[in-house]
Amino acid sequence: MAASKRATKIKAKLHLLPTVGPISIWILLFVFAPVAVIVVISFMATGPAGGILPKFSLENYRVLLFGGSEYGNAVLRSILYAFVTNMICLCVGFPMAYWISKYGGRFKALLLFLIIVPSWSCYIVRIYALKQLVGFPGILNNFLLNLGIISSPINILYTPGAVVLGLIYIWLPFMVLPIYASLEGINPALLEASLDLGANPRSQFLTVTLPLTKGGIFGGTILTFIPALGDWLVPLLIGGNRVWMAGNLIEHFLVVRGRIAMASSMAVILTAAVVLLIYMFIKLGGEESMERIV
Amino acid sequence: MKVLNARKINTVLLIAGYLFIWGPIVVLGIFSFNANAYGVKWESLTYKWYVDLFHTSAIMKAVLRSLLIASITTVCATVIGTLAGYGLYKYRFFGRRALRMSVLLPITVPYVIMAGALLVYFTRIAHIPLGYPAIIIAHISFSAPLAVFVTLGRMQRINWSLEEASVDLGANTITTWRKVTIPLLLPSIFASAVLIFPWSFNDFTVTYFVAGVGTTTLPLYLFSMLEYSLKPVLINAISLIFIVMPIFFIFLIYLYKEGVKQKG
Repeated sequence: MAASKRATKIKAKLHLLPTVGPISIWILLFVFAPVAVIVVISFMATGPAGGILPKFSLENYRVLLFGGSEYGNAVLRSILYAFVTNMICLCVGFPMAYWISKYGGRFKALLLFLIIVPSWSCYIVRIYALKQLVGFPGILNNFLLNLGIISSPINILYTPGAVVLGLIYIWLPFMVLPIYASLEGINPALLEASLDLGANPRSQFLTVTLPLTKGGIFGGTILTFIPALGDWLVPLLIGGNRVWMAGNLIEHFLVVRGRIAMASSMAVILTAAVVLLIYMFIKLGGEESMERIV
Repeated sequence: MKVLNARKINTVLLIAGYLFIWGPIVVLGIFSFNANAYGVKWESLTYKWYVDLFHTSAIMKAVLRSLLIASITTVCATVIGTLAGYGLYKYRFFGRRALRMSVLLPITVPYVIMAGALLVYFTRIAHIPLGYPAIIIAHISFSAPLAVFVTLGRMQRINWSLEEASVDLGANTITTWRKVTIPLLLPSIFASAVLIFPWSFNDFTVTYFVAGVGTTTLPLYLFSMLEYSLKPVLINAISLIFIVMPIFFIFLIYLYKEGVKQKG
C-alpha cells in the first residue's frame, strides 16, 4: 500500500519534469540569472575607463540618486510622466470601454478590433505616425499653414508635453481592453437589482459598476503605468533625446557609454520601483486581476 | 437630463479616443501613396514606394531575418509555454505559486530593464554570441509566458474527464497526449502562436539590445531609417505593412473561431 502510494507520488513527479521543467530552467537561466548578475554588478565600482572593478561600492547609487541633478530628475520625471499618462489613459479609456460595452451593439466587435489592431502593431511605427503628423516638418503643420490658420509652424516636439502625449498615444489601447473585459463580466442582474432597489443611474454607476470594474482598472493601470515608466523610445524619438526618462539612462550607460555598473544600478532602481508598484497593486486589486490581464 | 449629458460626454470621449488612436495611422497610410519623396506635402497618387520596397535588398533581407526569428521563437515559446501551462494547471507541487509569479516577471518588468540585463548576461557571463542566438533566446523568455497564460485560460474550460477516460480505457501517457490532450489544447496552441509571432516580429527594444552588429531585423532597420531621416516615404510604406499585419492575424483568429463554432 505504502509502496504503491510512493510509486504514484514518484510518477506524479515524473510528469512535472517534461511539463514545467523546461520553463523553470529557462526562467532560471534567462530571467533570474541575468537579473542576479545586474544586481551584483550594480554594487560594484566603475573603473576609470568605464569597466567594472570587482569591489563593493554604493557610488553608482549615490551618483544616480543624489549626484548630478539630471540623473535623479530622470527617475522622478519617469514616475511623474507615467502617473500623468496613466491618469489620462484612465479618464479617456474608461469612458471608451464603457461606451463600447453599453452602447456598442452590433458594432462591438468592430470597435474592439479597432482597439486591438494598434495594440498589436509595431510600436516604433506608431510613434513615427504620431511624430509625422504633429511634428515639424509635419503633415498637420503643413496643412494648417496652407489653409492660413496658423502663420508660423507650431513645434510641439522635444517638449515634456509631447513626450506625455506620445506615451498616452502608445498605451491608451492597453487601458481600454482590460476595463472592457471587466465591464463585460458584470452580471446584468446586479445592475437591474440596484435600479429596483432605488438607485439612480449616477449612484448605480458609482456604487455598482465602478467597484465591479476594479480589476479591470488595476489591470489597465499595470499595463499602462509600468511600460510608460520604463519607456525610452518615446522620449528618444518624440522628446528628441532632450527629455530623458529612466529607460534612456539605462540605454545611454549601457549601449552608448559602456558603463555597465551605472546602467545596472539604474535598472535596479527602476525595478525596485516597479516591484513596489506591483506589490501595491496586488494588495489592492488581488492576484487574480494581475493574472487576468495576461 | 443629467444622464443624457453624461452620455454625450461619453460619446465625445469615445470619438476623440478613436480619432487620436487612428488619426496618425490613417494619415500615414494615405501619405505612403504620396509621390513627393520628402513627405509632408501632398503631390499625387503613386504606389511606386511599395515597388521600391521589394527592390531594396536591405529591406527584404531585414524582412527575412525578422520572419526567421519570429518563426523559431513562435515554435519554441509555444511548446515551452503550453507544456508549462498544462503542468501548472494539472499538478500541485512545491513552488507552484512561485513559478506562476516568476513567469509573470519578464512581461511585467519594463522591457528595457530585462533587455539590458540580458545584454550584460550574454556578453559578460554566458558568452552567448549576440545576433540570432541571443535574439531568439531573449524572445523566447518574453513570449513563453504569454503562451503559459493563454494555456492556463484554456485549461479551465476543458472537460478533463476525456483525458481520464482515455487512461481508464488503457491508453498510455503518450497516446493520451497525442490523441486527447493535444487536440483539446489545439485552440490555445493556435492562440499562443498567433499572439507570439507578431510580438516577436514587431519587437524593437529587446532585439535592439541583444542584436549586436549585422542582425538588423525590420523594426531595427526602420529605426535606423528614422534616426538618419532617410526616405520618409519609404518608411511610410513599411509602416503600413506593420499596421496591416495584425489585421491579418486577428482575421486568422476570427476564421479559426468561426470554424470551431461550426464544428461544435
